[in-house]
Amino acid sequence: MTMTMTMTLAELTGRTGLTVLDHLEQQVRIPVVDGLQAQGDLIVIPLQVLDDVQPSPRARWRPVPPGGVELLRGAAGGNPHTLVAGPGDAEWTTDVADPQFLAVGVLRCARPAYLIHPEHGGSGIAPGTYLVRRQRERSTQWGGGDELVAD
Amino acid sequence: MSARNRQRARRRAGINRNLTDQLDHWYRAAELRDDWLWTALSTAPADRDRAERAITSLYARLGRPRPRFHWAASPRQAVDLLDEPPIRYGGPPDPGCPWHLAQQLADEVHALRRRLDDRIGSPGDAPWWVGRNPLVATRPPTEALDAGARLSDVLDVGVRDSLYRTVRDGVRAVVLSGLVAAVPEPPGLRWHGQHDAPWLAHYDVRRRLWPGRYHPADDRQLDLWAEVARSCGWWWPREGVCVVTERTTVAHTEPVPGAYHGERRSHNGHGPAAGYADGTGGHAWHGTAVPEWVVHGPTVERIARERNVEVRRCAIEHLGWDAYLAQARLRLLAEAPDPGNPGCRLQLYDLPRQVWGRPARVLLAVNGSVERDGRRRRYGLTVPAHLDDPVAAAGWSYGLTGDQYARLLRRT
Repeated sequence: MTMTMTMTLAELTGRTGLTVLDHLEQQVRIPVVDGLQAQGDLIVIPLQVLDDVQPSPRARWRPVPPGGVELLRGAAGGNPHTLVAGPGDAEWTTDVADPQFLAVGVLRCARPAYLIHPEHGGSGIAPGTYLVRRQRERSTQWGGGDELVAD
Repeated sequence: MSARNRQRARRRAGINRNLTDQLDHWYRAAELRDDWLWTALSTAPADRDRAERAITSLYARLGRPRPRFHWAASPRQAVDLLDEPPIRYGGPPDPGCPWHLAQQLADEVHALRRRLDDRIGSPGDAPWWVGRNPLVATRPPTEALDAGARLSDVLDVGVRDSLYRTVRDGVRAVVLSGLVAAVPEPPGLRWHGQHDAPWLAHYDVRRRLWPGRYHPADDRQLDLWAEVARSCGWWWPREGVCVVTERTTVAHTEPVPGAYHGERRSHNGHGPAAGYADGTGGHAWHGTAVPEWVVHGPTVERIARERNVEVRRCAIEHLGWDAYLAQARLRLLAEAPDPGNPGCRLQLYDLPRQVWGRPARVLLAVNGSVERDGRRRRYGLTVPAHLDDPVAAAGWSYGLTGDQYARLLRRT
């Protein structure tokens, strides 16, 4: 299974077995983007945009398996953001120190990889190295810090 | 293989065997915890015979005969059935007075728990300020064990703390807040039947993993408490009489996001999150106990009158930030096109101090993907009050500067 630059949501879900809500447009090509892109409460940031984040030199890189990696699961236990890629196309590590404490992990891909979410559809990620971060908001409680957004 | 390598291999094998053993214990413990969790969240009718037998045995331990049993549909109804004022914790105000039956029973449980704590070397009720092993608190249990955490720490966090959060600070607190709002005075010393699951699970899991740890007499007493928890709801012991309630008929929970130990929180946007057959109970919004109006009729006026900021937040979320900001006529500070989300705008609002209790701003944004009805949901994010620029505020939410966020190419 190789992921091409011209995949539709229907092809992507057909190949991975993941599902999205049926009202999402299935036949439009998913843009493969080499810059900053957001999928709900996750954001994919090209590493060169940030000057203070690098994966640890001793990071344990894991291949993105054919079934995908679940990066983050939604508040109600369902609706995960899943990262998928063809065999050998992408690898992934959580060994990264993020001064903002929002990192989910670092993705390194040689060919396009995709993020799929049942409600948000697909996001195509061009070859490169990216930091994946969660979203936060300011706590409304007295003395509270920041809280991660639960989508 | 050199002697040193053999030694290393042996040590590795030993560690692995030990780890496999610990993982087996943990999986068993997690099953038992879930069993106790479903006991706590059960909505089945009470097993009245079983509850009466176990409570009678607890009375017998204090030299009392079988009491008359009054069954109530809910704690609210039970409070009406009590014919004496609430009994306080910690003995009678006048040291000369004899202890009330409920106080004697509390003393018994207290002593039992201290003896069991001594046997297992871990307290059944460690408050939050007692430090937890960070390895255990911040990683899934199997990873924590793999990284060398002690099984005992994993059990404390994964069983005891998990159930305290879901049940004592969750469902039970929701029932209590509904009850306290409905009765003239706090309901006094009582036991919670199914909602006593957390402390019972803490001791029960240990004895099932390592039988024979407790004194046989303590085992028998623990059995009685566990029997009560598995067969009924809250109960109030009195001299010659015991008022016992049915179990909850409604217990709505959702998983706590990002939790590693099966923690759940009470939530129901349409009715009581924890309720009884007579219609009483308590309401909750994503884990926060709230008054009924928050669920059934949040309005801008009620929100402005509410003193509790958490309750205000829940009510606003239920009403929807979009509707709230429009109806409350809050001041729009600035707006800007949303980078990566063509045709949509980011709007930054100032929240009056009296609404929030601390200086805060709200960023109103539009979802990148459509809902089933073809519309895009708008949502509000609270951001620090020093941010003036909507793009910088959106950037802050992802740990980025405004300039960095302005380069967003696509949002879905």
